[in-house]
Amino acid sequence: MRYDVVVIGAGVAGLTAGARLAEGGARVCVLAKGMGSTHLAPGTVDVLGYDGGERVESPASVLPDFVSRHPDHPYALVSVAPALEWFAACVERGPKPGYRYVGSLEHNVLLPTALGAARPSALVPTTMAGGDLGDPAPICVVGFRVLRDFHASLCAANVARSGVEARGVEIDLNLHTGRAEENSLGIARHFDDPGFRSAFSTRVAPSLRPGERLGLPAVLGVRDPQGALTDLEQRLERPLFEIPTLPPSAPGIRVYDILRAALRSAGGRLVIGAEVVGASRDGTRVTSVRAHTSGHDHVYEARWFVLATGGVASGAIELGSDWVARENALGLSLSGAPADGAARFDPDYFAEQPLNRIGVAVDSSLTGEGTDNVLVAGAALPGAIPWREGSGEGISLSTGFAAARTVLEREGAAAAA
Amino acid sequence: MAAITTDVLVIGGGATGAGVAWDAALRGLDVVLSDRKDFSEGTSGRFHGLLHSGGRYAVKDPQAAVECIGENVILRRVAADNIEDTGGFFVTTPFDDPAYADRFVQGCRDTGIPCEEIDVAVALREEPRLNPEISRAFRVPDASMDIWKTVWALARGARDRGARLLTYHETVAIHRSGDEVTGARLRDARSGEEVDVEAAVTVSATGAWAGRIADMAGIEGVRVLPGKGIMIAMNHRLVNTVINRCQMPTDGDIIVPIRTVSVIGTTDVHVDDPDDRTIAQDQVDAMLEDGERLVPGFKRARALRVWSGVRPLFEDAKADDVSTRDVTRAHALLDHAERDGVSRFVTITGGKVTTFRLMAEETVDAVCRQLGRGGPCLTRTQALPGSEDGRFYHVSERLERKERHLQEDQLVCECELIPRARLEKAFEQRDTHNLDDIRRYLRLGMGPCQGGFCIYRATGILHQLDGMTAEEANHTLREFLEERWHGVWPILYGDQLRQARLDEWIFQGVLDVEHVQ
Repeated sequence: MRYDVVVIGAGVAGLTAGARLAEGGARVCVLAKGMGSTHLAPGTVDVLGYDGGERVESPASVLPDFVSRHPDHPYALVSVAPALEWFAACVERGPKPGYRYVGSLEHNVLLPTALGAARPSALVPTTMAGGDLGDPAPICVVGFRVLRDFHASLCAANVARSGVEARGVEIDLNLHTGRAEENSLGIARHFDDPGFRSAFSTRVAPSLRPGERLGLPAVLGVRDPQGALTDLEQRLERPLFEIPTLPPSAPGIRVYDILRAALRSAGGRLVIGAEVVGASRDGTRVTSVRAHTSGHDHVYEARWFVLATGGVASGAIELGSDWVARENALGLSLSGAPADGAARFDPDYFAEQPLNRIGVAVDSSLTGEGTDNVLVAGAALPGAIPWREGSGEGISLSTGFAAARTVLEREGAAAAA
Repeated sequence: MAAITTDVLVIGGGATGAGVAWDAALRGLDVVLSDRKDFSEGTSGRFHGLLHSGGRYAVKDPQAAVECIGENVILRRVAADNIEDTGGFFVTTPFDDPAYADRFVQGCRDTGIPCEEIDVAVALREEPRLNPEISRAFRVPDASMDIWKTVWALARGARDRGARLLTYHETVAIHRSGDEVTGARLRDARSGEEVDVEAAVTVSATGAWAGRIADMAGIEGVRVLPGKGIMIAMNHRLVNTVINRCQMPTDGDIIVPIRTVSVIGTTDVHVDDPDDRTIAQDQVDAMLEDGERLVPGFKRARALRVWSGVRPLFEDAKADDVSTRDVTRAHALLDHAERDGVSRFVTITGGKVTTFRLMAEETVDAVCRQLGRGGPCLTRTQALPGSEDGRFYHVSERLERKERHLQEDQLVCECELIPRARLEKAFEQRDTHNLDDIRRYLRLGMGPCQGGFCIYRATGILHQLDGMTAEEANHTLREFLEERWHGVWPILYGDQLRQARLDEWIFQGVLDVEHVQ
């Protein structure tokens, strides 16, 4: 099979690159071993939440100084704002009516985590915006006995310690599934049903006090979250918001749905269940990749490749028991790894771990070292610690966006020549 | 200051100390069992889980072998619920001296260890992952033993007979009056409060720390050499039979299938400080290589956790070798009335987990001699709580229970199949707010995800149950994460590194545990 561009990986970075390339007129195929980390992530767009452990109030004003101190960070190579604008527009024309991302690079919103910590994000979905801890309105956090992945009393107790009045309540949901446990995705599917929402409102209303906002685990539907939010806010006559918790993540799956729709509506193709296990090269050019699918291998030829397979968490970068790190799909060189014999980890859990910044070595245009036509995006890039910086979506969106632009520009230049 | 009076104060809540408490309580004595931390938090809780048949010592230390097989038979009878009857193999690999096997057979015969040579083909059929290059195989009655469960059964049994259990009570002074030890002062590590225990006899069952307690009592010359060994728990049961290399005991030559994992052990390095738990990278690498010799592909399997324990070893005056493995593994009972002219004080140290009951028996015999009362030892026949029906633990026990109650209860920990009701009961039974105590009690967070999913859940449940403050809940959560990290970072490669990264995304990314107020 022949494409202009093959994108490897279907997380935020891969889908963003794929959609932007398709929008730019390229024939694109996105190949992925499985779902990306969208299904695990909270569903917010985090650009820069922490800088050296200190909370960032305004990513826009901190970023210039941040990249001067971290010249190897992906943010030193790309700009963030256009990608965020594009993403917000995707959401707007996407498959979830009325669902929006609000906020800006100028000011981080603080939302409660399931533990009750105040977590900074640049853009947040409308279903979460009501949880802004900058708002002094009291909060009633409601958990469900059936959802072991969310504990309302602990969440509320910690929120209260951060200065916003909060209390936790646990109610029975009556899912009638016959099971004692259900994860937040399973519950979110119930919330897509207006009949269920009506019964839920009746059940939860007596627990609520006047003037309280209602915080729920992130379960407000997958298909039509905005519809579920509006419906419940009307029934309960108060603002309501979602609090992200342990995977799977309904808000994260909405991000996946939205980006996938952007890719497909622009004519891009998505193949899940195709693990890229090798490449053919002609000198510094990769000419095709081999993808392992059920039954047999497929070869995909393309002029350009975007590697957006993620970092260590996805299995894209692996450290062997011989302590040698490898990039598994294309065998590209890595950078940011501790030198041979140097410590890979610090015995203190909260210390900066030397191996944390490992990634695929790239030049300033995100081109993989030793290649001419492989662009690298997302968590595969070196130099960042996205889970600690609170920068995951910002890096993936901006580098996926930039990789697509670079490919399109070079294609254009080649065509002109 | 609070003061309590008892017949026997036991300092040290490992297998031996808990065994002493159980034995003494069965003989009708009043007992206080104390530990500076949680019970079995020290050496006992840091071994590989092997209930020796004695085969390991059959050639090198026949007396230890005789003790092991004797205790193996007794413990199978009285502590069945804590033992999985895995059986054991001794196999001659291409790396072993082939001449050792005949000496091994003779040693087993001399020490009374049932040992049957089996066809290599039979051994490989039973354990298909075993190195196919083995030349001989012998079957012995090795087994695996859950030491945390055992120690808690001992402590609970003692408590049911009136014993008082004081975890997190560090001994800060031994009271001495002339030539008598009259008790000790303990400090509650959590509240800082001190309590004086007046005891007719004080027993130090502090293993590698026995020298320190003896020093406090003003007794000189009790010197215990801490020998540190590391062990690695591998995900899954790579083998279902204990596998020993048929050679003189050395590093990394045993794999013990226990609960949901397989543990490879061990090394032996002399250290000065019994609290030294550092793990050297080269030891980890060597251990993985050793595993490869027994089970090809071992290094590609997933390592879950590494830890070290310190054996208490008495220096043998005749051994001039620096290696502690040549120091006797036998236990030492020091009746200080006889040894030092200081009465009402007994030290028990050395030995191994397999022989803890025998050590306890001899200790309580000495206590009774000093007290001038107390009945005969009953621990050879009296089953521990939970083991009354004599049925061995089976690896699929929790799964079976879960299947029976599939609809009724939530699983808090999928890896170790711990239901919510069980966890809630454990908080109550153990009277603890410490998730690490619960880990030892229920194996919470000990599976492949190393707490990634269950620890937030457990913290939330704990907070809700006890009305504990959010501050305390955050503290125990963070402490657990830090404790887990100590045991995982030296073996983070392959899928376990990937898992650790997912856990970091959850705790640091989704929950933002680092920045909770």
